Amino acid sequence: MLVAIFAIPVAVGLIGFLLPARIVGWWATLGALASLALAVVLVAGFDATGGVLRDVVDESWIPQLGVRFQLGVDGLSVFLVLLTSLLWAAAVLWSALQAPDRPRNYFFMLGLAQTATLGCFLAQDLLLFVLCFDLMLVPLYFLVGAWGTGDRIRATIKMIVYTLVGSLLMLVGAIATAVLSADATGGITFSLEVLRRFPLADGTQYWIFCFFAAAFLVKMPAVVVHGWVVDAYRSCPLPVLILLGGVLSKVAAYGFLRIVIPVFPDASIHFQELLLIIGLASILYGSAMAFTRTGLRDIVAFSSIAQMGFITLGIFSLSGAGGDGSVLQMVNHALVVAPIFLIIALLAERTGTEDIRAMGGMAKRAPVLAALFIVVTMALLAIPGSANFVGELFILKGVFETKVAIALIASSGIAFAAFYALRMYQRTMHNPLPEGADSRELTLREGVVLVPLVACIVALALYPGLITTRGQDSVDRSLASLCEDPYGIAGEPAAVVEADCPPGIEPEPAPEAVAGRGGFDAWTGYGPAAAAGVAP
Amino acid sequence: MIVFVGLGVIVGGAFTALNHVLGPKRPSRVKSEPYECGLPTEVTRTFRFGISFYMVAMLFILFDIEVVFLYPVGVLLNASDSVFVLVEIALFVFLLLVGFVYVWRRGALNWR
Amino acid sequence: MIETPAIDYGALSPIIALVAGICVVLLVGLIGPRGRRGLSSALTLATLAAAAGLLVWQLGEPDADLVAGALRSDGLSITIGLIVVAAAALVVPLQLRDPAAEEAGFGETHTLLLGSVLGMLLLAEAQNLISFFVALELLSIPLYVLCGSHRSRSRSLESGLKYLIVGSIGSATLLYGSAFIYGGSGGATDFTAIAQGIGADLADDPLVLIGIALVAVGLAFKVSIAPFHQWTPDVYEGAPTPITAFMAVATKAAAFAVFARFFITALGPSADQWQPALAALAAVTIVVGNVGALGQDSLKRLLGYSGVAQAGYMLTGLLLGTVKGIDALVFYLAAYMLINMAAFAVIAVRERETAYGDDITAVQGIGKDRPALAWSLTISMLALAGLPGTAGFIGKLFLIEAAVAGNYTWLGVFIVVGSMISLVYYLRVVAAIWMRPAPRLAPAMAGASTEAAGEPGLPRRTGEPGRTPSGAPSGGRCWLVLGAILAATAATVAFGIVPSPLIDFSAHAGEGLASMLGPG
Repeated sequence: MLVAIFAIPVAVGLIGFLLPARIVGWWATLGALASLALAVVLVAGFDATGGVLRDVVDESWIPQLGVRFQLGVDGLSVFLVLLTSLLWAAAVLWSALQAPDRPRNYFFMLGLAQTATLGCFLAQDLLLFVLCFDLMLVPLYFLVGAWGTGDRIRATIKMIVYTLVGSLLMLVGAIATAVLSADATGGITFSLEVLRRFPLADGTQYWIFCFFAAAFLVKMPAVVVHGWVVDAYRSCPLPVLILLGGVLSKVAAYGFLRIVIPVFPDASIHFQELLLIIGLASILYGSAMAFTRTGLRDIVAFSSIAQMGFITLGIFSLSGAGGDGSVLQMVNHALVVAPIFLIIALLAERTGTEDIRAMGGMAKRAPVLAALFIVVTMALLAIPGSANFVGELFILKGVFETKVAIALIASSGIAFAAFYALRMYQRTMHNPLPEGADSRELTLREGVVLVPLVACIVALALYPGLITTRGQDSVDRSLASLCEDPYGIAGEPAAVVEADCPPGIEPEPAPEAVAGRGGFDAWTGYGPAAAAGVAP
Repeated sequence: MIVFVGLGVIVGGAFTALNHVLGPKRPSRVKSEPYECGLPTEVTRTFRFGISFYMVAMLFILFDIEVVFLYPVGVLLNASDSVFVLVEIALFVFLLLVGFVYVWRRGALNWR
Repeated sequence: MIETPAIDYGALSPIIALVAGICVVLLVGLIGPRGRRGLSSALTLATLAAAAGLLVWQLGEPDADLVAGALRSDGLSITIGLIVVAAAALVVPLQLRDPAAEEAGFGETHTLLLGSVLGMLLLAEAQNLISFFVALELLSIPLYVLCGSHRSRSRSLESGLKYLIVGSIGSATLLYGSAFIYGGSGGATDFTAIAQGIGADLADDPLVLIGIALVAVGLAFKVSIAPFHQWTPDVYEGAPTPITAFMAVATKAAAFAVFARFFITALGPSADQWQPALAALAAVTIVVGNVGALGQDSLKRLLGYSGVAQAGYMLTGLLLGTVKGIDALVFYLAAYMLINMAAFAVIAVRERETAYGDDITAVQGIGKDRPALAWSLTISMLALAGLPGTAGFIGKLFLIEAAVAGNYTWLGVFIVVGSMISLVYYLRVVAAIWMRPAPRLAPAMAGASTEAAGEPGLPRRTGEPGRTPSGAPSGGRCWLVLGAILAATAATVAFGIVPSPLIDFSAHAGEGLASMLGPG
């Protein structure tokens, strides 16, 4: 199952080389839809109890180097897998409608990127993860460089160099983790399940943590290392931008939850404040820039920085609620960003520019488009009732439990979001229609891609518990490493010191402890209790 | 010993004398130069040394030195009475021969 | 009475096959002009195949001292030998339509090539200072000639002369150093005897120390380790491209083999004293090579500098003095062979098709009309940069894992820092292939932009791509060349996805030296 999900996109891309150029796009769409269908089946049949890995694939790959081909899903990754498949299907379908030149190469690159991204979400072997993480860049480089616009070659090289600086350091970090814990684990292994049981010494954890954090923060992107983002967003072809903004940045956040916190728990606690401050800085800087820029892509780029700042905050609140909120917010943000980019494409097509100063009045003749846009905008500014609101609430709750001051400042980020999101909507949709712009309604071809995505936002707003209930056991399991002696290896499990655990987290194995968060969940109405009531 | 020296002097002298008396004499400018090595005695700036000299000289050195190797082998062969050494030296000579055939067929020995 | 030295003819058989092949190819080259090209190429390939077959056979046999301990056949020598032979076999089809080979004669070119291969095999087996030096010269001298074999191109002659002079300096340094070691170790030439003669502490014998330094410098010249690398880009650029390819890969492999054998066998006991020095050299080499490549417009110069950087990576594997380090080194060499062969072959093909020579312009826009070449060069560049999905990634992974296990984590970090810098120039090539339009001027008219165009004997494009001016199909359309390129590329990708067979292969090398090496 997982192998099929993992391999289908690239296989489809390879077969595409044998097909006539005319039908390659539709063939790729078919492949993307097939992988989406598989992902839906995966989610439908997913059992989240205990947060353990499901559908595990474990094959020998490079035994001499201790690398195994291990795939698996748990509550953390299952929705990200679905999200990946969904956005890719949208991007591929959109591209197929646009008919890019050199379609065989184009769709192969898209497929390769999807395989690499899914590989990141599915990998349970540290090296496989790193490999897929690096591999994502190769197709991205081609997609931006060969099919992009503007100063694309410079932008793409900047992007690659920025992101690879992090991810290659991460490669060293990953290898060092495996080699240095080889004595404890009995031979070199990159298996995450094994590595998390044998944490390294503090000092070692610290520098390896820095390498990993560098990779993930650049990818996210966080403030200080965001230099590549704006250029890349400007040059990126739109379908690829959906993936870049929607999915690829989530890989980094996911990496923190999946790898950094479980495998380097001491370092995570040690660097918690630094990461929180980076997250906070991202929120403030991203919001401020999003408010001042006039290019639509720039606005979305900086708003993404702010949103990723929120997710970073949630993760490094090192609390159950924060983690749950981050997982939810990852999906939310991706679902919001994708339609925004598509709408930008439509607007650019109608007005011939992406600068909001030259736009306006689009709502006049295109009410459906405007309606879709307002839904997306509301989701972006996290209006109460949207899934984004729930996500941000969870995150802030998590941060409040640990660092009150940071949470207070971060709350202002929500207000900023309302500013820039509404500004963007107003300047494009309201006001008089500028000369030369053409207010056209959504065509059927455009609607086919856009409407399902907006429908997903609405659906998730109605029932965010879909994700949080399935995610929380796995989040708890990830955070369990932070507890003293989480697996009861050194002493008997009863001797676990609960005081050392972050709020909301109980040492593993303690399934009954999950109930401890019932109060908050009952209040939001989205917790496991509510879910149990709704689920048939 | 004296007989040898005597014979040497007599034979040598006799041939030189005969040569002097019987040989044809066609003096030329080249022949009358002090060094009879093929090079003009006075070399001007634009003078270029024939490349063929180098070729021949190099080939001479090559084969000459390789032949020098044969002497110790002869002594060894005498002392050791070993088939191994015989085969080795045969192989050595064979490889030399291959080189010689190559040089010859490529026309390196033709004066140009 | 003379004692017959103990000779293991079985283990010597690859060498014997090569010598026989050299004689035959040389003599076949004399037979009239017709059929020379095909026949001598076929015979060369047959010789190489025979040598490869015998090497593979020897891989299963126990290690052996060949000629009274002067040579040693073990995992290291055999794996390196196979890499060298494979490199030569990939060069042979590339020579088919090479102007340099046409000019110098196929019999001679192939004989020299085989002679160099012979030297490399011997060098990988050398177990004593004398055989070491003789093999090194046997390797080098044919290469000096081959570099200058494109006689009508002054660049080629310059390259040959430069290589001759620098190479001779390297050899002389090495010989000088050997003499010091011979004296310092109490008259030992055999590597193991040297190890016993000089013991574990180098500091108390300056004679030996100077000797080791000089030998290291001599070897550094051969494998182009900074700061002894300056000749590399010039020579690579000037030499005929197939020869550059062979030189870049095979010389490096053989020289690294003897580098490893000498330092680990003869100087093993004092490892902790020379390791830091070599580590510093490796770090400098990685930085110098990668930074030097940044501004290069000539692809061959670029690959030359990249080769310098790669030598730095490989040196990391060597200096660790562990089985894993040697395995990683040999794996990296094997991967490097495949990758570089493909890259140089594409350059050679484009050189013959356009008048841009090896300038980056020559590959601009080939993504559109020459997809096979474009993909091959792209994959090679990505593999050299160490991106995943290629053997280059696994090679770096292997090296870094070995470095971390050998307590040289900082060198591992240097390797990835080097990779980052290298991405800038590798991606420039990839960008030229896919993202820039093909040059619009007819190359013959664009003569001013490339000094090479002014030289005689250079093929000018006469409209139809893939054909030399005489109308004969050039290398690009020759299925043999294309086959070689695609085979190397396919292997690069295949070993990037399923690397285990190649890792098992390289593990033989570590086994060969296992008794001298630390674990890990």
